[in-house]
Amino acid sequence: MFSRLLIANRGEIALRIIRACKELGIRTVCVYSEEDRDQPYLRLADQAVCIGPGPATESYLRIDRVIAAAEVANVDAIHPGYGFLAENAQFADACRDSKIEFVGPSAASMRLLGDKIAAKKLARQAKVPNIPWTEGPVEDDREAGAWAAKAGYPVMIKAAAGGGGRGIRMCHNQAALMHNLMAARAEAQAAFKDSSLYLEKVIEGARHVEVQVLGDRAGNVLHFYERDCSLQRRHQKLVEESPCPALNERAREEICKAAVRLARAAGYYSAGTIEFLVDRKGAFYLLEMNTRIQVEHPVTEMVTGRDLVQWQIRVAAGETLPFKQRDIRQRGVAIECRINAEDPAKDFRPCPGRIEEFRVPGGFGVRVDTHACAGLMVSPRYDSMIAKLIVHKPTRPEAIACMQRCLEEFHIAPIRTTIPILREIFSHTHFLKGEVDTGFVERTW
Amino acid sequence: MIESEQVRQLAELMNEYGLSEILVSEGQSKLRLRRGVAGPVAVSWPAGAALPQTPGAVPAAQEASTAGASGEDDGLVPLRSPMVGTWYASPDPDSPPFVSVGSRVEPDTTVCIIEAMKVFNEIKAETSGTVERILVRNEQAVEFGQPLMLIRPG
Repeated sequence: MFSRLLIANRGEIALRIIRACKELGIRTVCVYSEEDRDQPYLRLADQAVCIGPGPATESYLRIDRVIAAAEVANVDAIHPGYGFLAENAQFADACRDSKIEFVGPSAASMRLLGDKIAAKKLARQAKVPNIPWTEGPVEDDREAGAWAAKAGYPVMIKAAAGGGGRGIRMCHNQAALMHNLMAARAEAQAAFKDSSLYLEKVIEGARHVEVQVLGDRAGNVLHFYERDCSLQRRHQKLVEESPCPALNERAREEICKAAVRLARAAGYYSAGTIEFLVDRKGAFYLLEMNTRIQVEHPVTEMVTGRDLVQWQIRVAAGETLPFKQRDIRQRGVAIECRINAEDPAKDFRPCPGRIEEFRVPGGFGVRVDTHACAGLMVSPRYDSMIAKLIVHKPTRPEAIACMQRCLEEFHIAPIRTTIPILREIFSHTHFLKGEVDTGFVERTW
Repeated sequence: MIESEQVRQLAELMNEYGLSEILVSEGQSKLRLRRGVAGPVAVSWPAGAALPQTPGAVPAAQEASTAGASGEDDGLVPLRSPMVGTWYASPDPDSPPFVSVGSRVEPDTTVCIIEAMKVFNEIKAETSGTVERILVRNEQAVEFGQPLMLIRPG
């Protein structure tokens, strides 16, 4: 097992990793930017190293500075968290070249799955259904128009090097498609240094269902069941739950097995998530695979009773998974709400500022993952998520009742947060009946 | 055997209680920490004992140096580290240090080296003046923004 580990991240996931390490007896080193100097979670790490000024491009995204910090602090491993360098294959290579283990998959599988076109071709080989798509990059606009006309509108333009909801444009007709292709190429080039695009048919009224997988270096890949993340706004998730209320046992088994097939085909180890769309008829299609631990991992931890971050670290340290697929069970229902410093009444405008009052809910079946506290300055520079509120109860109605009372209890002032809209979601009939799709939030609010 | 962790804890104790000196003896080993203006500095080691291997093992000392030596009110200009790495006073182990207290510097004068990932980066003074105080030790781990030395401009 590692003796020292560096956390190349900030905020709630940095705290999450510090906690996992402490329980494993691993000493922790946390990097920080000058703007994060006063973050209380840094005091829980054994050592903290300043790696740059506020802007992430000068600190958290600086591979050279993170590796330099890892070297001077003499660590055995680096955990990248999510976001920042978590899915940067070059960073994974740089760590391992410096004889520091990267807590995540191989750089090769990151590259393969990060190229969305290559990932879809791999899915076809692994008999994992893809969303109807152009079967390759779009070479010219006429070809794009011809495909879209045949497949039927609306269609999505997606960047091959994109992911995480970025580089996506929906087009309802030929004119919109032609107009957006040029802009999408420029955007992709600027954001991802790769202007390749492909088109997908839009699956209307679909649910977003993702499967958590975990693999070890001996080639064992297990799934930890699914999460339904259909409540989204502009491709950013607001609420996640497990199990998915719309899947029957057979559908659950098929989608989870498909996820494992894809992960195996990619030679994947560590934690990862395969995202699918499930249409109204119950058919599922691959969206993409994310080669990192995800924000919503606590939902799966609660229903399966397993510490995913600790398992990532154990796998990275060379341990093989000591359990089999049949040992992983779903128990009860877990739901997570992301609490963001955004004002839902003002188009979710970010609300940075100092938190003066912060009272978290508690009680039986409640888990709050947060780095925030009274006195904390929420910076406009970083992600606006300040807390994750997770509940776990034997049944969905009980979990919802628990979440409703937690959202009432949770008090954050004076900055505005997304708690009001979450309370509305949790009293909306469609959500209570489990009848939502990925367009629900944007249609309703 | 004196452990670097012990040094760190002692430095923290000194800061917490405002002590100026601690002397610890354990068998054959003796360790004296005396607070200079720049924070606690380990002063004496018995012959043959190894220096702490873990760089950055004295975060409390670094904090004290930052707090006590921001220097700007005495008119001294701190040279802050532009990177993370290991600080070296000399171009190589056999040469004398680039600068010492009293050295005259110009903005382009190389005053030290910081090494990271096997690359040795020359750090410039950035100010015209005289080196008044050097705040870090040879082979010490430094972080971004850490004050390395104080320069009296002029």
